[in-house]
Amino acid sequence: MSKRNQALVICGGLGIGLLVSAVTLMFVGISAPDLLNEFIFSIFTSSRSINAVLALAAPLTIVGLSAAIGFKARFWNIGIEGQVIFGAIGATLIATYDVGPEQFRIYLMASMAMLFGMAWMILPLFLSVKLRVNEIISTLLLNYVAFNFLLHLLYGPWKDPETFFPNSKIYEKSERLNNVMGLEINVSVVIALVFVVLMTWLLSLSRFGYILKFVYANSNMAKSIGINVVLMVSIAALISGALSGLAGFTISAGIDSRLTQGFFIGYGFLGILIGFLARNNPILVVIFALMMAILMVAGQSLQVFYQIPFAMIQLIQAIIVICVAASEFFIQHRINIIK
Amino acid sequence: MTITNTYNRDLPATDNVAGTVLSLKNIVKTFGKFVALDNVSFDLKHGEVHALLGENGAGKSTLMNVVCGLYTADSGTILHYDKPILIKSPNDAHNLGVGMVHQHYKLVKPFTALENIQLENGTGPYKASLDRLNAKAVEVSERIGFTVGLHTPVGQLSISEQQRVEILKVLTADAKIIILDEPTAVLTDSESDNLFTAMRSLAASGCSVVFVTHKLREALTFADRITVMRNGITVDTVLPKNMDANVLANLIVGESVVESPKRSKVVTTPKIMIDRLSMADINGVQVISDLSFNVSSGEIYGIAGVGGNGQNELVSILSGLLRADVGTIELDGYGNIEAAKPIELRNYGVACIHSDRASHGLANDLNVDENFAISGVLAGEFGKLVVQRRRARAAAAQAIQDFDVRGVRSQGQKAGLLSGGNAQKLVIAREFSRLPKIVVAHSPCRGLDVRASSAVHEHLLAARDRGGAVILISEDLDEVMLMSDRIGVMSRGSIIAEFEVPADRNKIGKAMAGNA
Repeated sequence: MSKRNQALVICGGLGIGLLVSAVTLMFVGISAPDLLNEFIFSIFTSSRSINAVLALAAPLTIVGLSAAIGFKARFWNIGIEGQVIFGAIGATLIATYDVGPEQFRIYLMASMAMLFGMAWMILPLFLSVKLRVNEIISTLLLNYVAFNFLLHLLYGPWKDPETFFPNSKIYEKSERLNNVMGLEINVSVVIALVFVVLMTWLLSLSRFGYILKFVYANSNMAKSIGINVVLMVSIAALISGALSGLAGFTISAGIDSRLTQGFFIGYGFLGILIGFLARNNPILVVIFALMMAILMVAGQSLQVFYQIPFAMIQLIQAIIVICVAASEFFIQHRINIIK
Repeated sequence: MTITNTYNRDLPATDNVAGTVLSLKNIVKTFGKFVALDNVSFDLKHGEVHALLGENGAGKSTLMNVVCGLYTADSGTILHYDKPILIKSPNDAHNLGVGMVHQHYKLVKPFTALENIQLENGTGPYKASLDRLNAKAVEVSERIGFTVGLHTPVGQLSISEQQRVEILKVLTADAKIIILDEPTAVLTDSESDNLFTAMRSLAASGCSVVFVTHKLREALTFADRITVMRNGITVDTVLPKNMDANVLANLIVGESVVESPKRSKVVTTPKIMIDRLSMADINGVQVISDLSFNVSSGEIYGIAGVGGNGQNELVSILSGLLRADVGTIELDGYGNIEAAKPIELRNYGVACIHSDRASHGLANDLNVDENFAISGVLAGEFGKLVVQRRRARAAAAQAIQDFDVRGVRSQGQKAGLLSGGNAQKLVIAREFSRLPKIVVAHSPCRGLDVRASSAVHEHLLAARDRGGAVILISEDLDEVMLMSDRIGVMSRGSIIAEFEVPADRNKIGKAMAGNA
C-alpha cells in the first residue's frame, strides 16, 4: 500500500473516531452547534485559547517524542511521568537555590531537567540491559517512587515558605518560560519545535536512525552484522528519559511557574498515546499533540459550562485511539469480498 | 500449458495399492496476478508414499495447502474416493482424514507433547480426553517405532522430536491422508531415514503419505511414485525405479544443473589459525572442546559433521557473537582476534553467512535495499551526518543486479517477501560486496533448490579464487565433498579427523558416525 493511501486510511479512522465522539457528546446533551463552537471557533478565534492549546501542546509534543524514540528501540518507556517529575525537580533545584548567574538560569534549569530525567532512566535501563528485567514493569513502578519523592520534597524542604502550601515557591521571572518577544506564544513551543527538528534528523535522516531500524526489526541480525545493540538501546532510552525530563521543565516553568503536586498527571499516558498514534514519526507527533491539546482545552470548558464529567474527555481520547488503531488493520490487510 | 508425458508408466498392481483416495483435477490458484497453481492435477493412491518434488516456489506447498483447507482453489475439482467434495476450511480437511505437518511446526512450546495433542484433538472432559489420547499416542508410536517424551514440554524437545509430536497429532486424529511439508529440512540423515521408515509402515497399514521435498535422493529412495512440479504445473508423475537422478533433475529445473568439483589452484599461506578452542555452555557442557584447524588463502575448508556437534557455537565464536573460554584465533596480520567484537571482525575482512537467514541474515520487515545498504551505512560510506538514501539505493540496485537477486519487484519491497534462494543471494551480495578475506558459511544452501545452491556455490568459489579463506560448515556431506579443498570432520566440539581431497566418502561417513 502506498504511503499516500496509508495516510488516507489513518485519516479515515481518525474521522470516524471524531464522528463517534461527536455523536457521543450529543447524546449527553451538547447540541451540534455548541460542539462546533467549543472545539473549533472558540479555540481558533481567541488568542488566549490558542495560547493555552499551544502551551499544553509543547510538553505533549516532547513526551510524544520521548515515547517515540523509546519505542523505536523496542524500549517500552512507561515511566514518562516519573521522568517528567524528576525533570521538574531538577529545574526547581536550580530555581530554588538560585544556582548560576540569573541570565543563564533558565538554560541551566533546562539542562538540569534533561539530566535528571536521564538519570531517572539509568536504573531501569541497567536492569533491562544487564539483568533482563522487563523495562515496562521497572519504569512503571519507578513512577510511584518518583511521585512519593516529589511529595516528600513538597511537604518537607521545598514547602512554599510564604503560604505553607505543599508546592515549591513561585519561580522568579527569569526562571519562567515567557512568551516569545512580541508574540503571544510561549517559548516552550519553540523548544518543542526545535526538538521535533532534531528528532526528525536523528530518527529519519541520520545513521543512528538507520541503524536503529535494524535493532527494532531484528536484534539478532543487528548483532551479527556488527551493531552494538546494547549501546543503541541505551542511547535511545537515555534520550527518551532526557526528553521527558525536558517536558517536566516546560510544564513547571511554562505553565505552572512552580513545582506542584499534580503537574505531571496524564502526561505519561498521553505521551505513549501520541507516540503510538504518530507511529513514532516526529512530525506526526506534533499533529497528534496539537489534537490532544485541543481536546483537553475544549474539554475543560465543556466541564465548566456543560457539567460534562472529565471521564467523558477520557472516553473520547479512547474512542479516537481505538479508531486509529483499528485503521491499522486495513493497512496490513487487503479485504476481498467473496460472494 | 504443456505437460510432457514421456516417462509415464503404468503402476504395477501390488496388493496394498487399491483405489485412488484423493484426486485433484485442474486446480487453479492465484494470488493477485501471480498464478501459483495453473491447472494442476494430482492423484494419491491407497497405501502409497508419494513424493511431491520441485524447486522452491514450484507450487508444492500451495497445492498441499489446498488439500488441507488452508487455501481455497479458484477452480478445479477434488475427488475423495471418486466423490466430488469441497474443502473450504481445515475442519473439512480434518473430517476427511487429511492431516498435514507443516514446514514450520505449529506447537505451543511451554505445553507438553501430550497437551499439544490434546489441544488439537481433545474432545469431551479434559482428563478423560487426555487419558484417551495418551493411550492412543503410546499405541501409535509403538506401532510405527517412534520414541517421544509425551510428558516433556515441547520447547525442551529436539527438532526431530517436535516433528514426531506433529506427526502424532495427525495420527491420533485418525488421519488417513498424511502430508509432510519439507519434513527433512531440519533433520540429519539418520533421523530422516527413521522418519521414512515410519512413513513406510504407516503406508503399509493403509494410510497414504505425501511428502513435499526438493531433495532428489529422498524422492528416489523412499517414494512409491514421484510427482514433479515446476512453475505451478505438474510436469509429470513417474516411478522411481524407472528414473535416474539426472533425468529427474532435468524434469525439476527444465535444464541440467550438475555441479562438478572445482579444486583450488593456488593455496598459499595460512590465513586463519584456530588453536585449542574450548567453550562450555551455561549448563557447563563442553560444546567446543580442544578444537584446532588452519585455513589458507585460496582454500575452502569444509567442516562435515552431524548437526548439534558444536557447529552453531563455532560459527558464533568466529563471528564474534560468543567468546571461547580458552584458545586462540590467529588472523594473519591482526594477531589473536578471539576477543574481537562483530564489528571489528567485519573491519578485519571476516564475513559470516549464518545458517538461519531469518534470524541472523536479514531483517525481514525492512526493505531489500536497506538490508543491503546497512553494511555501508555502518562503515559510514553513505555520509556521516545524513544517510544519502539515493546513493544507498543505487548501490543496492547495482548489487542486486550483480548478484542476480531475483523477485525484487520494487525498491521498497520487504526482504521477507524474497524466496529463500534470493534472500540468501541478498545476504551474499551484502557480505561479498566488501570482498572479504575470510568467509564463514554455515549451511549456506539449507532449504535452497538446485539452481540457487549452485549460484551460492559459485560465489563461494569466487571468494576463494580472489584469495579468500573460506570455511564451509555443512551437515550436507555431498556439499562438503563437492566444494572443499580440505575436509575436517567435527564431532563433539572438535575436529576429529582431516581429509585431503579427493576423499573417500565412506571414511568421512565413518568418522562422522563413529563419534556422533
